[in-house]
Amino acid sequence: MPSKTPNGPPPELAAVSSLTEHTLENGLRVRLLPDDSVPTVSYFTFFRVGSRNERPGATGISHLFEHMMFNGAKRYGPGEFDRVLESSGGTSNAYTSNDLTVYHDDFAAEALETVVDLESDRMRSLSITDSVLQSERQVVLEERRLRVENDTRGLLDEELASLAWKAHPYRWPVIGWRKDIERITRQECMEYFGTYYAPQNATVYVAGDFDPEQALALIGRCYGPIPKGPAAPGVADAEPEQKGERRARVHHPAQAPSLMVGYRAPPAKDPDTLVLDLLQYALSVGQGSRFVRELVYRKELAIAVGVDWSWRIDPGIFQIVLDLKPDSKPEQVERALFAEIDAVARLGLTDREIQKAKNNLKAHLLRELATNGGRAHAFGTYEELLGSWREGLTLPSRYQAITSEQVKAVAAKYFAPTRRAVATLVPTP
Amino acid sequence: MASSPAAASSRMELRPFKLPEPHRAQTSNGLRLLVAQRGKLPLVALDLVVRAGSAADPPGKHGLADLTARLLRRGTAKLTADQIDEAVEYVGGSLFAGAQKDYLSISISAPSEHLGAMMEVLGQLVREPSFPAAEFASARGRVLAEIANELDDPGALADRALELAMYKDHPYGHEVNGRAAHLRALAREDVIDFHRERIGPAVSTLVVVGAAEPAEVATAAERAFAGWDFGPPSPPPTPKPDAIGAPGQILIVDKPEQTQAQVRIGAPGVPKGHPDYFPIAAFNAVLGLGFTSRLVTEIRVKRGLSYGAGSEVDTLAAAGTFSISSFTKTEASRQLIDVALGEVAKMRKKGPTAKELRAAQRFVTGLFPARLETNEALAAAIAELEIYGLPDDWLQRYRERFAAVAPKQAAEAAARYLFEGTPTIVVVGNAAEVSVQLEDLGSTKVMALAELE
Repeated sequence: MPSKTPNGPPPELAAVSSLTEHTLENGLRVRLLPDDSVPTVSYFTFFRVGSRNERPGATGISHLFEHMMFNGAKRYGPGEFDRVLESSGGTSNAYTSNDLTVYHDDFAAEALETVVDLESDRMRSLSITDSVLQSERQVVLEERRLRVENDTRGLLDEELASLAWKAHPYRWPVIGWRKDIERITRQECMEYFGTYYAPQNATVYVAGDFDPEQALALIGRCYGPIPKGPAAPGVADAEPEQKGERRARVHHPAQAPSLMVGYRAPPAKDPDTLVLDLLQYALSVGQGSRFVRELVYRKELAIAVGVDWSWRIDPGIFQIVLDLKPDSKPEQVERALFAEIDAVARLGLTDREIQKAKNNLKAHLLRELATNGGRAHAFGTYEELLGSWREGLTLPSRYQAITSEQVKAVAAKYFAPTRRAVATLVPTP
Repeated sequence: MASSPAAASSRMELRPFKLPEPHRAQTSNGLRLLVAQRGKLPLVALDLVVRAGSAADPPGKHGLADLTARLLRRGTAKLTADQIDEAVEYVGGSLFAGAQKDYLSISISAPSEHLGAMMEVLGQLVREPSFPAAEFASARGRVLAEIANELDDPGALADRALELAMYKDHPYGHEVNGRAAHLRALAREDVIDFHRERIGPAVSTLVVVGAAEPAEVATAAERAFAGWDFGPPSPPPTPKPDAIGAPGQILIVDKPEQTQAQVRIGAPGVPKGHPDYFPIAAFNAVLGLGFTSRLVTEIRVKRGLSYGAGSEVDTLAAAGTFSISSFTKTEASRQLIDVALGEVAKMRKKGPTAKELRAAQRFVTGLFPARLETNEALAAAIAELEIYGLPDDWLQRYRERFAAVAPKQAAEAAARYLFEGTPTIVVVGNAAEVSVQLEDLGSTKVMALAELE
């Protein structure tokens, strides 16, 4: 039975008041968000698997597998998925993160039946041949050359992760180590599919112009016969406590140095996560945010400062990325950055900074709701990382309730030098 | 052909899609207003576009339009940079200012309850920026550092090199952020002059999309822009380029450390609003748009040569280009170029099949409404109509006009416009390894990084 959203979401969430939730007998979770503003539909499938579920030796299999999902199943053979989807007025994409693999289709509303057929076909009966795997491996290696091996930020990012984590799978890159990508076998892919792509490991979000009753019946008909799979094995997390600052230097030809600093942070479900969201906004979003104002405009030490604070299932990282000038001295930039961070850890933020961050978080939540894709992705992410899409309904009030004492306590706890990892890009000619 | 063109297009059903009708008004000093009211959410996007893009950069002062735009928010007669940031960002808004080739834009996204206050800020920025000397020096330093960092980004570098190769000394030949040598020679007075001479209401349009009443916008704009009484009476025309590209030339930007080569292949195209735009866009969709285009199929799917490949019809006010873009491991550079040029030749000779064209038409028309889903996207699209003098019904009729292209028209357009002459090829990568592969393809020239600064 569908259960409606509980009464009384804040008015700005009226756009998702139509959300209904269902679970098929095989465990597939289905969430429907009808809205006829635009004659298109956005269709997301979240699989609860990412590089976090991998083992050394097969790093990158989640991402390689994501590519394989476009290469043919029983009814729609190689190349057919995209051909049928695009010629029906749709487009597809996907991403793999440390925690999730997410498939995303946008299409003209009349193509819903086709999309459900395509998506259920590949969940039921993906076919993996050696020749297609061989070719797709080359594509992924090109992606790795593009994003990591020929990209200074990619190089540094990879270095920082393996510095911040010693044992947890977050230490390897989502795209995987090159030699693992070159090695992964068809057999491993088949096993991976059987374990992680079973219906009880997936959630489907549909948002846009469609009739929810018809859509649910259609999804039940197409996905219903897919059998439930085995339970997924646990994640190998033997991460020890960090005892002090960790450092790495990457030497690579570049015009300018750059700097990445990460602080070990809590898992998404921890209440401190929302306080770190607030800190991220106060410190790095907008020219008037503290890091940007101080390091880019007042001290002119960096040309850009950003914070990547991505929610993760296991304890994550609050990551600060700085683009520098050719004559910048990374040590000097570091000192200025650490002085800012120490000040926040000691004194917290001003009341006005806190209120400003809350206003921005509220506007951000609203903007996410402005598109079909944004709604489906946001609520799917809440469900997978915070535990339930309902968490999304309470986010605005929970952000509003954060106090100045909480901000100070959270900053003091996480912005400690002993939780820090620093990676510096040292330009070589 | 199995199906006649007329049958193909008449079978394509387009689900009704109603865009809000933009409400037109004008302030007493001549600023045009276009307001499209829509949305269930209390959000609004303001986009002020000025016909003063990087094509209006004076000779020897490339980068001036963009630098001026960026500096507008770094202080006005009444507000410091911090106060401007605070006014917009405190309420959850965001502000962007920068140049494109044909225009510059200053845009604000914010909760709609703050529309009036955001309009006041916009008015301040264009009416009385103070361009503090320290801010000028600091902003110029950042742009110079950004250009240096761009030289480390192979994709951005390839785009930069292609642009220069296509347009050379023409005003479209430089990136909007300019050239390092020019920027170093700029003075604060250049920015002050550019603002007074180029940025005025007669060459500007304010587009507002979202939860906003047209009457409320008109009143707020009248107040916010009162006293903005300078700038040119009409936009400066951009000359047509004499020639586009360096036919037959292969430019190699040397990055010896790279294991992957970025490849661009460019040729002349058509300007914005060209009568053959739809047939051109249609054959291009078959050649290089989406995951099932001929280029992706041949380069990525069949050969595993790249992660991405595509082609683009880039239209500007005075001219346009047609380009192919991809990348591959260094040793496969030649193979990638051969495959891409082979697809161009096939498309020129026979055009798309009726089936391919129909698929591409469904692809483009089906997704078109989603491209205008956000207030910001619709505001930018409406602003472009105004800047390029496109008809008012351009967006509303885009789908039906795209769907109406017949296979014969697309084939004729491909034969006529697709790489009319020999293309120009740009490769960013290890020059020593790349040049040996390409010697018999044309005359190669290795460019130093400094030429692209």
